[in-house]
Amino acid sequence: MIPQDIANTIVDPRAYADGKRIDHAFAWLRREAPLEQAQPEGFDPFWVVTRHADILQVERQNELFHNGDRATVVTNIEADTQVRAMTGGSPHLVRSLVQMDNPDHFNYRKLTQGSFLPQNLKALEVRIREIARGFVDRMAAHGDRCDFARDVAFLYPLHVIMEVIGVPEHDEPRMLKLTQELFGSQDPELNRSGSEVTDVKSGVDTIQSVVLDFMTYFNAITDDRRANPRNDITSVIANGKIDGQPLGYLEAMSYYIIAATAGHDTTSSTTAGAFWALAENPDQFAKVKADPSLIPGLIEESIRWVTPVKHFMRTATADTELAGRKIAKGDWLLLSYPSGNRDEAVFDQPFKFDITRTPNKHVAFGYGAHICLGQHLARMEMRVLWEELFKRLDSFELDGQPKNMVANFVCGPKSVPVRFKMH
Amino acid sequence: MADPDFKVWQCRTCGYIYEEALGDPSEGLQPGTRWADIPDTWICPTCGTPKSDFDMIEL
Ligand code: HEM
Repeated sequence: MIPQDIANTIVDPRAYADGKRIDHAFAWLRREAPLEQAQPEGFDPFWVVTRHADILQVERQNELFHNGDRATVVTNIEADTQVRAMTGGSPHLVRSLVQMDNPDHFNYRKLTQGSFLPQNLKALEVRIREIARGFVDRMAAHGDRCDFARDVAFLYPLHVIMEVIGVPEHDEPRMLKLTQELFGSQDPELNRSGSEVTDVKSGVDTIQSVVLDFMTYFNAITDDRRANPRNDITSVIANGKIDGQPLGYLEAMSYYIIAATAGHDTTSSTTAGAFWALAENPDQFAKVKADPSLIPGLIEESIRWVTPVKHFMRTATADTELAGRKIAKGDWLLLSYPSGNRDEAVFDQPFKFDITRTPNKHVAFGYGAHICLGQHLARMEMRVLWEELFKRLDSFELDGQPKNMVANFVCGPKSVPVRFKMH
Repeated sequence: MADPDFKVWQCRTCGYIYEEALGDPSEGLQPGTRWADIPDTWICPTCGTPKSDFDMIEL
């Protein structure tokens, strides 16, 4: 068993906001107990998979390690019991690709997979560049200071994904708020109640009400796209068929929710975190500004650096062995992506931000059948933004202490104050 | 000169592209390595999908 203080740290949203505390816990685990069970207070026990190689092993075997059998995000017993009571026994409030296993996972993923392949995204690049230029202009209009997280990084990927999905611009503030309420439900500055979440029941109720708001919104859009299909993801989902039948209500709504939420908070966090890291490493900014062919390297390194998705859970479907340990059928496993991305066995000087790192085979997008559907879109968005911004940005530095979100699932910086010179 | 017969293969799961003309030196596949000459046990370097789940595509 993992020592209690470390077990508690692994699920503590404040440890992720602190950064150093979570890094120390995982560095200790990789050294002393790379695959071991933890039981934080109030939780069922689960294995903590900390090494890069073991994360790949689990994710590749998606019949042996299921997504949907138990909660896909680490959940304490009280919250799990409450979710099951609400749903009539299911551990999930939604049923998106993330909660599915085969055959459904394969069939549902196939529906939108093509739209997210690099060759098909190319058609969007011109429009994405226009959006990026708009944000660069807005940053310039701030004068010489802004909060890069709030004023640029949170809004730009949101605008892109909403356009890809087909949500009109005037509804974006609502989408941003709902997403932040969902992923920031543990952060008093972002959540719906505006206060510390101490009571599990009201926490789950709040998440449920955010999910219902999303569903009400997307249900109206579905009706519209059935009547008037367009060239957007919503039309693909609204008119899609699985085995000759339209998607179920829960599945269709969940598909929109996952695309709308996973599609921007992750990219926003990475963009904000990249700018923070560049501010702390001005030599690297100078390099990439002088040579834009280093931008793809900057993108991979910032995705590794931030690793905005902190974990997903899997459940063993049979007794098995992993890295010499016996895993029993029904055991729950936490895949720690930030730990895999700091694994000393794979990355030389893992705690150094280095845009020229090659190879850079991080696991921030996951691996196996569930590997991030939006990875090519995320990379393209960031490439276009950096191309447009670096052309006009002469210099910049931090203008105060950046702050991370308080969350243990999807998170990154929520404030990156900067002072800058642009032309 | 690139051989016009070189083909391009793409992983169905993650979109990774294998171009025969370029190979993938980080995978030990030299430029010009034909798809048919890659062992069947080879898996996608980005997501681990088996070789059988790749499609031939036009770029
Ligand atoms: C830097 C940005 C992003 C990061 C780091 C990221 C990370 C991840 C991770 C770790 C997973 C789980 C993979 C696994 O279980 O192995 C995932 C799944 C997913 N992501 Fe992303 N993501 C990003 C951007 C996006 C974008 C822009 C979209 C747009 C649609 C998106 C949509 C999805 C979807 C739909 C899934 C579920 C796939 C499945 O279960 O089959 N993500 N992402």
